[in-house]
Amino acid sequence: MCYGPRTPTRRRACEELCGCRGAMDGEAGGAPEVHRSPAPRDFHFCPTDLYDSEGRLRLFPEEHTRTGRQVPAEMTSEPGGAAPGKAQSDLEEEVQELVDLYALGGGGEWGAELVDGSAPRVEVSEPRLHLPAAGAQRDWRLGAEAEDPGCLGWGAAGRDLREAYRYAHGRASEEYECYVIPEEEDEDEAALVFCVTCKAPVRACEVSDAHGEHEVTPLSKALESAKDEIHKNMFKLEKQIIEMENFANHLEEVFITVEENFGRQEQNFESHFNEILETLAQKYEEKIQALGEKKKAKLEALYGQLVSCGENLDTCKELMETIEEMCHEEKVDFIKDAVAMADRLGKFLNTETDVEISAQPDFEDQTLDFSDVEQLMGSINTIPAPSAPVINPQAPNSATGSSVRVCWSLYSDDTVESYLLSYRPVQDGSPGKDQAEFTMTVKETYCSVRNLVPNTQYEFWVTAQNRAGRSPASERAMYMTAPSPPVIKSKEIRSCEEAALICWESGNLNPVDSYTVELTQAESPEASGVTESVVGIPTREALVQLQPRQRYTIYVRALSVGGPSARSDPVTVYTTGSFFHLNQHTCHPGLTISEDGFTVVRSERKTPAKEPLPGNTRFTRCVAVMGNLIPIRGRHYWEVEVDERSHYTVGVAFEDVPKQEDLGANCLSWCMRHRLASSRHKYEFLHNGTTPDIRITVSPRKIGILLDYENSKLSFFNADISQHLYTFSCQLHQFVHPCFSLEKPGCLKIHNGISMPKHVTFY
Amino acid sequence: MALKQISSNKCFGGLQKVFEHDSVELNCKMKFAIYLPPKAETGKCPALYWLSGLTCTEQNFISKSGYHQAASEHGLVVIAPDTSPRGCNIKGEDESWDFGTGAGFYVDATEDPWKTNYRMYSYVTEELPKLINANFPVDPQRMSIFGHSMGGHGALICALKNPGKYKSVSAFAPICNPVLCPWGKKAFSGYLGTDQNKWKAYDATHLVKSYPGSQLDILIDQGKDDQFLSDGQLLPDNFIAACTEKKVPVVFRLQEGYDHSYYFIATFITDHIRHHAKYLNA
Repeated sequence: MCYGPRTPTRRRACEELCGCRGAMDGEAGGAPEVHRSPAPRDFHFCPTDLYDSEGRLRLFPEEHTRTGRQVPAEMTSEPGGAAPGKAQSDLEEEVQELVDLYALGGGGEWGAELVDGSAPRVEVSEPRLHLPAAGAQRDWRLGAEAEDPGCLGWGAAGRDLREAYRYAHGRASEEYECYVIPEEEDEDEAALVFCVTCKAPVRACEVSDAHGEHEVTPLSKALESAKDEIHKNMFKLEKQIIEMENFANHLEEVFITVEENFGRQEQNFESHFNEILETLAQKYEEKIQALGEKKKAKLEALYGQLVSCGENLDTCKELMETIEEMCHEEKVDFIKDAVAMADRLGKFLNTETDVEISAQPDFEDQTLDFSDVEQLMGSINTIPAPSAPVINPQAPNSATGSSVRVCWSLYSDDTVESYLLSYRPVQDGSPGKDQAEFTMTVKETYCSVRNLVPNTQYEFWVTAQNRAGRSPASERAMYMTAPSPPVIKSKEIRSCEEAALICWESGNLNPVDSYTVELTQAESPEASGVTESVVGIPTREALVQLQPRQRYTIYVRALSVGGPSARSDPVTVYTTGSFFHLNQHTCHPGLTISEDGFTVVRSERKTPAKEPLPGNTRFTRCVAVMGNLIPIRGRHYWEVEVDERSHYTVGVAFEDVPKQEDLGANCLSWCMRHRLASSRHKYEFLHNGTTPDIRITVSPRKIGILLDYENSKLSFFNADISQHLYTFSCQLHQFVHPCFSLEKPGCLKIHNGISMPKHVTFY
Repeated sequence: MALKQISSNKCFGGLQKVFEHDSVELNCKMKFAIYLPPKAETGKCPALYWLSGLTCTEQNFISKSGYHQAASEHGLVVIAPDTSPRGCNIKGEDESWDFGTGAGFYVDATEDPWKTNYRMYSYVTEELPKLINANFPVDPQRMSIFGHSMGGHGALICALKNPGKYKSVSAFAPICNPVLCPWGKKAFSGYLGTDQNKWKAYDATHLVKSYPGSQLDILIDQGKDDQFLSDGQLLPDNFIAACTEKKVPVVFRLQEGYDHSYYFIATFITDHIRHHAKYLNA
């Protein structure tokens, strides 16, 4: 648009700035050591960097190739104030000094321009160089140009540079002159210091004279600070350029918007005026036609009246003539005719003659109805009523449990002051007409509707309105709120070292699409705060793979069309050992499970006589309870604290072990049974009703049980003394569960979620 | 103490060797078998001593029990000495199979003419371990002992007489109460004389009663159809009763249908090696 040309211009100017840099390098490059001098090369900043690094890359090599040729040109065509007859030996020295200056200038030449205060430095050191137009220089530059016509000469570059610079910074071109670089140095002494007060380099020997009272720093230090200053300013400049570009872009956008808006308004006016003119023309037509018709009707009526009037007149005349004729007749005839005549006359006179004028000649008062035109006229300054907005379908993840974000759009030509968003819940079964409707006024084309019921479908529609009126309603769109968070059944969590089985309740009345389990590994510095997710779980439980011996915080979310629910309350899972809860549904009525869920008590009182309900869930004969072990085919270890004198059976069984049989009496269970008979402990390792003959000299108080699916083994240990008691080899074609039984009153305390002791790993 | 290698055979990645040496305790040349598991090539391994039963040499165990695989896997050096001094030219040493040659009973004899040579207790508990520790890559801190029949008796008394010396002990059909069985009575009276109080120092059942209670996990397998069990030579019940009373942990497994042979040993040798490995490799 209007700024279009500006950017290229700016870019070109900067390329030229670079070109000028290159030219300076070229000058300095006359002496071989200059190439080694790092100062000019270290000066990496180039305004082109900000725009187009290619420009710089392209230009620099070009300058380098030119170096050799330009220097002789400089030396030979030098017409300036330098002593022409200078000895050749001085030349090198001069060049060296130039280099020194440039080393300074490498950082400082721009700085001279940018930092106002440093301009005088150039003045002091090289007043001669302050030639207003640097005419002499330009001459030799031109010489160089002539020698190499394709290249950018100093003069041309300088002019463009000045323009560019002025353009970019609004500075006077004169200021620019300050960094015309001195091409020779009269002094033959290189020892320079920097006078801070005069802001100029001075010979060390001069310090005492002119700068005696002044603050003096070494030149290198001054150089450093000057460089820093320049770099700082470069950054500022850089920032400013970026800002300006952004501002230009912004202006461009505004320009377009203004153009569009006014264009639209013009169209609007045009269509309105056309409409009004059309309406007026139509009204004119109608009126003219109506007037014509009325005129015709009136004339016709008058004409008819005139005709009948004439007829009446004729009849009257005829009657008069007849009567006159009668008067001339004989008496007898007269009498005869007179009677008849009198009748006829009487009849005639009886018929009224209408002398009322049927049509009024004057123009009836015809008020014209211009109200619609007036309305149109009135509406010219406003806008047309909007058309129906288009309501969007629900966007993914735009709903929460109590809110949905509804979006719609309008036709771009419409002007809308506000929208009326209406909704009502949709319920299956009922037609929904009796559901309450809610309407709200919204300014935007979206609305987060709050206070909704979770996991529920709502019907939304929207109308747009402005001063001119209200649009028809949009189509109706269905939106669904996100579900309520599920509720994790913390009492049913099972875990082992490799996995956890999490169960939860939906927390929603309506079905949800799926669930997501999120887990965060705590206490692990490298993974702190990282949340893993298992998504798309269709059921209300999930087996998640975990790392051993860690602590996890686990959440569940429910997912529906409306999006994910909030997180459920967290549960903590420790993947140390295997962890299970006892299954209440299997518990024999004679057993009580303690509050903490891990102590099984058989009390002294007799078990209830009432027969438990049939079924194969609950133990009916053997007073036992089963645990819910996680279905993972790894290794599981748990311990049972027992009373040495109690009669207990501990082991594992398939879930469908016959509950009316004793544990170990069938081939679906493997158990260790302890009995105490006449102070003799008897230990049996029962499977299918048989046991090996094993005698144990120390009664275990804590029995360790190792279930090893990998090796199809079930081992029992005296956990306190790490003693191996017995190992079953068992074919575990299904998952088994821990089981615990007490034949006589007593109690068993289950310890799980404990890491496997090392000694059991040998079995 | 020069060792003379008699044989060396590769077995389950390791080497089954037999050496001969001049025993100081026994005043004769003695052979012993040693299995070096693959692990012994790179580091020191625990040592497990096997004591054989009556009539056996170092050969029976290494050729019949099939222990090598388990020892190889658990990285145990297994040493199997002979059961008695040999060729000492003591009158009557070869007269019966249950006394003299092949029946040293793992005691230090006090009676003539046996007391010079028949010092099997000192040999297996002192001389042999020193020899092994000095010549083979074994960890002197980790040793265990097991045996069969007379060797089971030997293993039990070695462990019970030296609390803490052996990490674990196990036995196949051990002579548990020799002072009360015919074999024991014959041997002990011959080697130790008539003072039965001296016998008790080599009787596992008696030793348990005075055992100071250092943690010792004892595994015993016994064939139910062992004729020596029914003959009253082994008397495990006495030992179990003593252990129960003293709360010394024993798992005693009466194995249905098994006899006293190496077939029985071979069946359960893996359990025993694992039992020792559990304590030696803990």
